Amino acid sequence: MTIRRIALMTMVALLLGGAVSQLVGSSTVLSLFTQATIYAVFAIGVGVLLRQNGMASFGHALYFGAAGYAVGLILQLQLMSAELAILATLAGLALAGLLIGLVIVRVPGIAFGMLTLAIGQMFYLSASRARGLTGGADGMNIDWPATLFGLSQSTLLKPANLFLLCWTVLVLVVFALSMLLRGRFGSITEAVRDNEERARFIGITTLLPRAAVYALSAVVAGIAGVLSALNTGFISPESLHWSLSGMTLMMVIVGGYKALWGPALGAVVYFLFKDILGDYANHWMAIFGMALITVIVFSPTGIAGALQRLVQGKKAAPAARASHGH
Amino acid sequence: MLTINLFNGLVYGALLIVMCSGLALIYGLRRVVNFAHGSLYMLGAYLGYSIAMRSNFWVALVAVPAIMALLGVLLDRYGFRLLQDREPLTVVLVTFGLLLIIEDFVQTVWGKSNLSVPAPAALSTSIDLFGTPVPAYRLAVIAVGAGVALGLSLWLKYSKVGLFVRAASTDPTTTAMQGVNTDALSAGVVGLGTALAGLAGVVSAPFLSLSPAMSSDVIIDSFVVVVIGGLGSLSGAFAAAMVLGMVQAIGAVYLPDAAVLLPFVLMVAILIWKPAGFAGSRT
Repeated sequence: MTIRRIALMTMVALLLGGAVSQLVGSSTVLSLFTQATIYAVFAIGVGVLLRQNGMASFGHALYFGAAGYAVGLILQLQLMSAELAILATLAGLALAGLLIGLVIVRVPGIAFGMLTLAIGQMFYLSASRARGLTGGADGMNIDWPATLFGLSQSTLLKPANLFLLCWTVLVLVVFALSMLLRGRFGSITEAVRDNEERARFIGITTLLPRAAVYALSAVVAGIAGVLSALNTGFISPESLHWSLSGMTLMMVIVGGYKALWGPALGAVVYFLFKDILGDYANHWMAIFGMALITVIVFSPTGIAGALQRLVQGKKAAPAARASHGH
Repeated sequence: MLTINLFNGLVYGALLIVMCSGLALIYGLRRVVNFAHGSLYMLGAYLGYSIAMRSNFWVALVAVPAIMALLGVLLDRYGFRLLQDREPLTVVLVTFGLLLIIEDFVQTVWGKSNLSVPAPAALSTSIDLFGTPVPAYRLAVIAVGAGVALGLSLWLKYSKVGLFVRAASTDPTTTAMQGVNTDALSAGVVGLGTALAGLAGVVSAPFLSLSPAMSSDVIIDSFVVVVIGGLGSLSGAFAAAMVLGMVQAIGAVYLPDAAVLLPFVLMVAILIWKPAGFAGSRT
């Protein structure tokens, strides 16, 4: 994709978000959209790891929840302003992701997925057993200041504005990742993903790029965690639980991870579906379990893959005829 | 204090041996990490509860592994075999979907509250062990773990089917060319592995309470064990299970606040030292 096309699509997506925030009046619908958008950011974080490293994380709720806890703790202890707290949290997650990544991306294949699950769950257990500051299993409220980035809290938390903020963050995350991955970093990580040994032969150090992708995905999950903390004003160990990681991985697979935006689509589908299910939502685990199995078996590239095939199928047919003519 | 904790570490290690041998066997033959293994364990425990309430514990101890074995054979026939040419990640995600379905099923049928199964009368006494009284039932759990470890090792080493299993774990294609029916073998091994998950569930019921969280608690530790032990290695898993049980037991005495994090620390330490686990390089 050319830079012009990426920039164009980013502008269109931003305008679309602005239009939706103005046109949708119902605050229930808007808050559903907001939630879907936050999880779309989270899912993109998990998806980028799968796309660039070929590794499925079953424990990314760790970074999602840790971001909320870190911001909450910093604000409670009044260590710094909220704006700095957000930046410090994301920087901390990047560093933590890099360090954890350096250890666990060396573990081959599926053992990696098992490790992420184990690590995530251990943090869940320690957060729910912790007493004092974090409130243990009960969770803690996050004391956001009266103004954040120059906006008063009441303006910021209006459903339309909050949606627009989350949507803008989502679009910017996709934009930043597209720009980053179309360059050298993208090529290197794809080479390492496809054949680590050959990548080593041509002189690429393979451990660091893989750990960097892991750290990148941790930061993106952390951004979603900060947005969620802003949206709910609350953080509890549930945000670290494996079922959240699993749910997000499910969005990634159902949406399709080969395209950068596929996981976001998966998140939107997930929330709309869950809303439609309504009374049956108690059985969401079984329903999504079956949906997951169906998608994996019949359309491994997910909804995004199916859409792309649909579009490319129409484009490819005339192109094929044209090349035959020569 | 330390004696009883070490003893409880042995008990938990024994339970992990039963769990992990199932995981390792299935991985060996099908190259599938069964994420639903913990849910199958939970299903086994709840089935055991229902059977034990209607008749008695001993019936459950026999019936549950039998039911689970049948489930395992079906899982292999209509799941793993059909998916054997797919990427490993695909199959793992299918087992993850299965996990969600089983968890929902168990919560729907048995509810979310904690249930408990009394230990069978013959084993609800306590026995004096080096001056510390310990529940006889827990001794029996250790015996089950040791029995499973010994039985599986001998079976794999000395029986003809065991030889086939080892051969197919190393190279399924060549083994099939030598005339071994690897599909039937796999169905049997997945059945056995699932039966072991069920056995672990029944055995754990009288000393751990039944709750919807029981599956994730045990699967996390089991994953740590099989990763530390080396995926697919039975002896590696046995050793790692005992190490993990002991580390938790000793941690509960000396570092009670950090005991829950110790498996994680142990795992990171071992993986820095040996990324492929105790038993080497099979992936």
